[in-house]
Amino acid sequence: MKNRADLIIYWGGNPAECHPRHFTKYTIMQKGRYIPNGRKGRTMVLVDIRETPSAKAADVFLQVRPGKDFEVLTALRAVVKGQRVDAASVADTGLSLEQLTDLANRMKACRFGVLFFGMGLSMTRGKHMNSAAALTLAAELNAFTKFVAMPMRGHGNVTGADVIMRYTTAYPFGVNLSRGYPRFNPGEFSTIDLLVRGDNDATLVLGADPGATMPQPAIRHLANTPTIVLDPKVTHTSRLAKVHITTAATGITAPGTVYRMDEIPLPLRPPLTGPYPTDEEVMRRIREAVQRKEQVAA
Amino acid sequence: MLRIKGGKVYDPKNGVDGVVRDVCISGGKVVADVDGGRVIDGTGLIVFPGGVDVHTHVAGAALNFARGLIPEQHRNAHPIVRDHIRRAGIVGATPTTFATGYVYAGMGWTTVNEAAVPVLSAKHTHEELRDTPMVDKTCCVLMANNEMMLDLLEAGDHERARQVLAWHVWAAKAYGVKCVNPGGVEAWKFGKDAKQLHEPVPGYKTLTPADIVSGMARACDELRLPHAVHLHCNNLGAPGNVSTTLDTMKALEGHRAHLAHLQYHAYGGDDWATFRSESAKIAEAFNANTNLTCDAGAVLFGTTVTITADGPWQHLLYQLTGKKWGNLDVENETGCGVVPYVYKEKNIVNAVQWAVGLELMLLIDDPWRVSLTTDHPNGAPFWRYPEILHLLMNADFRKEQIARLPEKARSRIILDQLTREYTLGEIAILCSAGPARALGLEHKGHLGVGADADVAVYHAEQDITKMFSHPRYVIKGGEVVVEEGELRQSVEGHALAVKPSYDPQVEEFIRPLFQQYYTMSFENYPVTPDRVHGLQVNELSN
Amino acid sequence: MNLTVVKNATCTFCGCVCDDIELHADGTRITETKGACILGQSWFKNHTAEHLYPDALIDGKEATVDEAVDAAADILHAAHLPLVYGLSNTTCEAQREAVHLAEIVGGVIDSHTSL
Repeated sequence: MKNRADLIIYWGGNPAECHPRHFTKYTIMQKGRYIPNGRKGRTMVLVDIRETPSAKAADVFLQVRPGKDFEVLTALRAVVKGQRVDAASVADTGLSLEQLTDLANRMKACRFGVLFFGMGLSMTRGKHMNSAAALTLAAELNAFTKFVAMPMRGHGNVTGADVIMRYTTAYPFGVNLSRGYPRFNPGEFSTIDLLVRGDNDATLVLGADPGATMPQPAIRHLANTPTIVLDPKVTHTSRLAKVHITTAATGITAPGTVYRMDEIPLPLRPPLTGPYPTDEEVMRRIREAVQRKEQVAA
Repeated sequence: MLRIKGGKVYDPKNGVDGVVRDVCISGGKVVADVDGGRVIDGTGLIVFPGGVDVHTHVAGAALNFARGLIPEQHRNAHPIVRDHIRRAGIVGATPTTFATGYVYAGMGWTTVNEAAVPVLSAKHTHEELRDTPMVDKTCCVLMANNEMMLDLLEAGDHERARQVLAWHVWAAKAYGVKCVNPGGVEAWKFGKDAKQLHEPVPGYKTLTPADIVSGMARACDELRLPHAVHLHCNNLGAPGNVSTTLDTMKALEGHRAHLAHLQYHAYGGDDWATFRSESAKIAEAFNANTNLTCDAGAVLFGTTVTITADGPWQHLLYQLTGKKWGNLDVENETGCGVVPYVYKEKNIVNAVQWAVGLELMLLIDDPWRVSLTTDHPNGAPFWRYPEILHLLMNADFRKEQIARLPEKARSRIILDQLTREYTLGEIAILCSAGPARALGLEHKGHLGVGADADVAVYHAEQDITKMFSHPRYVIKGGEVVVEEGELRQSVEGHALAVKPSYDPQVEEFIRPLFQQYYTMSFENYPVTPDRVHGLQVNELSN
Repeated sequence: MNLTVVKNATCTFCGCVCDDIELHADGTRITETKGACILGQSWFKNHTAEHLYPDALIDGKEATVDEAVDAAADILHAAHLPLVYGLSNTTCEAQREAVHLAEIVGGVIDSHTSL
């Protein structure tokens, strides 16, 4: 990307505010092996439902009507393939057919295109259908040029969780191990669904604060069933939990590894030594304590 | 201490071919004799050195990407239920890490070579290998599309290229060097390929794939790496690629090389309609070039997922199948593609591929130079190896299978003319002694005094598939891990790496280039030894 | 006071995971964050080496880590379907342990990805 991308599209993301160094460190501002002129050698397109500060950095800004991303992506795939698209049906998305045609032409004409899609695409109406459409669009563009697509992950090391769950359980998230082997069914075993339905009867929260962010019914279930929290601070969730354990802060007092959103692992170099044990140590001790109880029961 | 008493021992490296004798083990090694300890009655059983897989994809970013792409396959795959020995997992085409270890050991394989590791994500590969129990592990690091290397080879600065190569092998804590589609993966980053061995790679003035092949092979020889350059030739999978493969053998100029998954490189024809086997030509040239080893990369019919660092080929496959396609570029170093795939008996191209893998193993006359692989998971998942052994050992069984193929396919292959049947001694070479020698693992693949005590004990049966699928005993590092076909304990394997000799000053050459082209800090790039679980280093001298 | 300088430190606040940050620390807090963005700066400066929070709480009352670990194990062992959730702001080493724990207790493990 740094060395090759001459067309960079951000879709449903606001890197200027949410990933402040994404422009300078990885994408538009960098000079690369095949992009010697840096910013001048690249075109940046921003697609979003509102004009965020990221729009200032863009050469082209396309404002999509909320909830119409899937329609735009589908129409764009058709335009890319040269199929006839009805201008009136496009108008409903907030964009014109001319704008879509212009974008399609830029996509086909570039040497190396990148589509970053943010939570404005993957977490709004359509959800994984939107992500799938974005990935398919990028795959199809390879009939014309080199094109890749990549999600912009928001939270710290959520990528690491995804990677580790895939290699230990074959699935990336929402894995049910109650039968002793991994099962996967998004919508059934996902956290919100479990909590709102009240399916689980205890929760261990690690590296998150759902008490501050989740819908009320989910929070009520966390409060009504025993919850355990591991966190460097006493959080909203800690206050409704049965057990809170203070742990070392990742990369500040705790060493270890984290994954970048492109699945490259990086070592942590904590500058401080703190008074609290690491998440790893506490998790291991809880696991060992459970195993001892299991043995006693057996 | 352990004695396997009175088994029929096949230990080709030490010239033992089906002789009834005891194998004694102490301290994780094979010893001349033991006094006391456990005795396993080997009467009527067949004793092999533990299997060695010279080319497989069991860990790393690409395989893990593939795992994420096929949840629908996992649902139908064999689950591993957690118990007091085993961690939970899923088998299928891309087994989870713990499952990988259990399943390999469960059929008597005790050493695996992960054949494609980018330096940039080597830390990740080692993390996965840490959670892959039961087997010892080696890695080959991907270097033939590394831009720093290619620039040096184009400039003719061979001395520095060798130094840079050595630095990267150690940085990745690798065991060997892998070259994938030399020049072609680099070209793919702009959507192109390098199909002509003697034409410059796109983006370079003079550097050709042939230059990369010879330059890398020479550097590996000069560094005295125990394993020769591990070469995935250009034009994988393409009709008529036989000429590229033969040219590649010449381009090596006598240097050692291991030709990976040779099956995918032995095709004739001008297009898919005229696609045919050219295994006879390949085997003839291979037999004459004693600097070479290879592995089969055999194909079996059924569902799998294909995954390789050969991005351009994968895109072609996606266009052919219209199925899912995932592509992953690794900046400055390599890339990979992933496509779920079903090999069909009634598909002429697939039928030819199936035959070519078997033909090569039957036509290559020296079993020491060809190893059993399926390029797991590309040709078939590794746990189907016993089916291939059955086909190699029983010509009548083979004939039955050939009869099922479409007539058009039968006219494009020569498998029906081959009557050779592998003996048990030759199978021990194909699966263990040969790959151990190809990898340069002196303590593996044999049962002589001082060898690592990795042993597989089988019960002789008519049904060869069944026999090799369910060993009676498996011993890993002196521990009995499989007994009566059941997993009895889980043991950790070692990570085997080499440290080639190089001038530490080369780092000052690499650092500024790295800082210019990469998006990560140079200091965070190498894998530090403390991050590699069970690391055993072989320090090489020049 | 001991000044520690750590080069090529890694910021874990957002998914970029920048690893080229120079941190200066005085033993208690981080005093300088060269190369970090605004979000990274506040992340680094928002944590210290001080003992600001109790080691552990059970039902809101202070407890030792040993007691809390045992209480947590009791809860998880007794539960029919426990959930292990979050896994964002933590290390891979802890995530690896989290999968193992979820397996031992026969629960569901999930991250922010499912939201």
